[in-house]
Amino acid sequence: MFEFFNQPEIIKIVVIIGSMTLFFVGLFGLLTQKHLIKIFMSVAIMESGLFLLFIGLIYKQNALAPILTDNQQGFINMNDPVPQAMILTAIVIGMAVLALGVSFAIEYHKLTGKTDIDEITSLRN
Amino acid sequence: MSSVLFIALPLLFGFATPILSRFGKNGVAFTSLAMQLFLLFLAFTLIGDKPYIEIISIAPPLGISFVLNNISLFFVTLFTFLMVAFSIYYLSYRKTDAYKNETKFFILLNMLLASAIGLVLSSDIFNVYVFFEIAGISAYILTAYKKTPSALEAGIKYLLTGSIASIFLVFAIILIYLNIGSLNLAIIAQDFETLPYNLKVFISILFLIGFGFKVEIFPLNFWVSDVYEGSTALVNSLFSGIVVKAYLFAFFHILYLFLPSGEFSTFLIYLGAISMIIAEIVALKQTNLKRVFAYSSLGQVALIFTAFALQSIDAIQGALFIILAHSIAKIVIFLALTTIEKNYKSLDINVLKELNAPFLRVVIVIAMLSLLGIPLFAGFIGKFLVLKAFAVEQIFPILAIIIIASLLEAVYYFKLIGFMFEKGDRKDKIKVDFTHKFIFSLLTFLILLVGITPFVISGFLLDSANVMLDSISYIAMLVKG
Amino acid sequence: MNLKRDISTSTFSGFALSASLILTFLNVLLNNIPTNITRVGDQFLKLNGSEGVANAVTTVVVYFRGFDTLGEIAVLFIASLGIGLMLDSNTRCNLKADSNFMLKTASQLLFPIIILFGIYVMVYGHLSPGGGFQGGVIIASGVLLLLISHKEFEVPHSVITLLETFAGISYVLIGLIGLVVLDKFLGNFLPHNISDMGMLLSGGIIPIIYIIVGIKVGSEMSMITQNLIKRSDDV
Repeated sequence: MFEFFNQPEIIKIVVIIGSMTLFFVGLFGLLTQKHLIKIFMSVAIMESGLFLLFIGLIYKQNALAPILTDNQQGFINMNDPVPQAMILTAIVIGMAVLALGVSFAIEYHKLTGKTDIDEITSLRN
Repeated sequence: MSSVLFIALPLLFGFATPILSRFGKNGVAFTSLAMQLFLLFLAFTLIGDKPYIEIISIAPPLGISFVLNNISLFFVTLFTFLMVAFSIYYLSYRKTDAYKNETKFFILLNMLLASAIGLVLSSDIFNVYVFFEIAGISAYILTAYKKTPSALEAGIKYLLTGSIASIFLVFAIILIYLNIGSLNLAIIAQDFETLPYNLKVFISILFLIGFGFKVEIFPLNFWVSDVYEGSTALVNSLFSGIVVKAYLFAFFHILYLFLPSGEFSTFLIYLGAISMIIAEIVALKQTNLKRVFAYSSLGQVALIFTAFALQSIDAIQGALFIILAHSIAKIVIFLALTTIEKNYKSLDINVLKELNAPFLRVVIVIAMLSLLGIPLFAGFIGKFLVLKAFAVEQIFPILAIIIIASLLEAVYYFKLIGFMFEKGDRKDKIKVDFTHKFIFSLLTFLILLVGITPFVISGFLLDSANVMLDSISYIAMLVKG
Repeated sequence: MNLKRDISTSTFSGFALSASLILTFLNVLLNNIPTNITRVGDQFLKLNGSEGVANAVTTVVVYFRGFDTLGEIAVLFIASLGIGLMLDSNTRCNLKADSNFMLKTASQLLFPIIILFGIYVMVYGHLSPGGGFQGGVIIASGVLLLLISHKEFEVPHSVITLLETFAGISYVLIGLIGLVVLDKFLGNFLPHNISDMGMLLSGGIIPIIYIIVGIKVGSEMSMITQNLIKRSDDV
């Protein structure tokens, strides 16, 4: 049974379904949660789902990590390094924006005591 | 002189500011202004050069590069000029009302300038995402700068919508890299037609949602008026003058490259028209001056969006004229509102009835007439060219919608002008000091100059419009390296 | 009852809408599973040897897409600035109870080892998995350990600002020197022979830039965690 799951197409289908589950869990949280920090956490979960999708789909079977060690002659049969660089950048940027958002929420709570997004309506929409 | 200096110098200044602040706050302010003046001078010397590519580390199409052609140069010159005008205004504003932690304010201003220029110059899609984020994060902090509850609320709303936008943009970039294999705009443009149809539509929708939050198109522009009301009028001038124009150009530049045959243009035109009408209707019943001008900005940006979506030469040239006129006029209006707020401490609409500032009244009236599109002011030729473009293409419903939206805008603008000039008790006279008078006079002189003699700049804008539509030579220039 | 019918129609329509959204996404993704086409990364792997660096991911992050890394450093810098602006307070951290003796001793013992490990990951980033970001975060986690186990520990603000400024300026200056010397911003102007691959001093400017990135990330993350912890008693 495990050989069935080891084929590359099945692995990719499982990766897509799994990472889209994370994405939609985050989207559900974003739309229904009321507490500010929970909304920020949902955004972080959505981003994790996307990164998982990218890394999972770019993986080549039986290829090595793109680092040259003593046993290899050249950079052949290695995985793609560009998605790893892109995701590194995207993780840091996402984390920086989220940390800033949490600090806004902390300062807002200190000034007014509210964290419920339904109650933050002093500016008329 | 290379075009990467436009981005590297503000970044260098931003990184070096904590040490520059040892030389006192005035040192930071004057160094920032000097650097921006140097960039403006550099932009003027580059006008007239042939388009060229600035290579970063490795030649395109493998690596990142910055393309400096007529249209990029137009935007770079516009942004640096507006930033210089803003800095000169702020230099005398800070004598009495300086912002706290001012060194951080200057860092954020320069990062905003660097990222807006980067959005316009870059030719690599992931690089566009990085600049998208830098501009976004500088704007979030500038919104929440004063740390009052309404400013923080505006900052939180802006940050949440911006994070959602960046998630959708990352999703689109991921799908593009997985299926096409390159991050360079030229290679993606060549291979984009070969994708299966449902994937093409999916990626386009993700792009539209991702950029749509920032380009302020209906229904994704619910955050704009709250953010403009929560932040100070000084910062609002930058948002409507520089930030939204950079996002507009980045979005349409990518759209023209990926979908050169205009497959979704009808949908985008109607989307822009609906945004325009709704913005003007909601503006009629606002009572806060910042919100009135925020909705007016939404209407004008929707007009620019509709014009760009048509993808014809006349429409694009008209859109560039409107961008020029709108940026200058909105900066004038918001800086005038800053002076009014400093003196009268309120920006309710009734404060105009008590306004006692003859110089500012004239300046605001000129800016508003230009936004309406009255002949002899700068906004006229832009609107005229856009209407002519739609008439030539025979899309009459949009023609009617633009005219109705302009009439609605005229209704509330003339109401405001009436408030400013009606007889009644006025408060104490506002004294506008010399630097502010200089900046306002310079900007209104430019509005009148472009309005009365548009041929000064129309040739340059026609060339820029041709360059923007000409995806084939852009792709050829990048693929060759 | 009317209330029950209203709830069930709204949840039913919400259900139908979300189900159709999920099915659209999955349909598009599952029909277009990406195949093994030649992507830019494979071409980078072929070019990697000419830079003389053993870790291909490091070359891509620092050199081939170096401007994205510069932008990411700018984002982290601005975020740290914004958090310092928002959470500005002069209160010392008032943890409710002081930690016990074992925690204090153990954290003091572990702290230099963590810092050393972080520096190792940072400096050897071009030879083994690791690099500036990873090393900087490890250093910041060591600082976090000390911050939560000792009430009176504070990262000195002036030292952090100096490190951050120095790192930021040198990154842009290296890029500008590359512009002057090689006519390419962030060009590799130090010797990077392919025969040096695997040695510590290889790859030209690549290890230097990654160390600069590591210093910047480490100092900024320490600053962010300190700002967040100092305000932990308010919430």
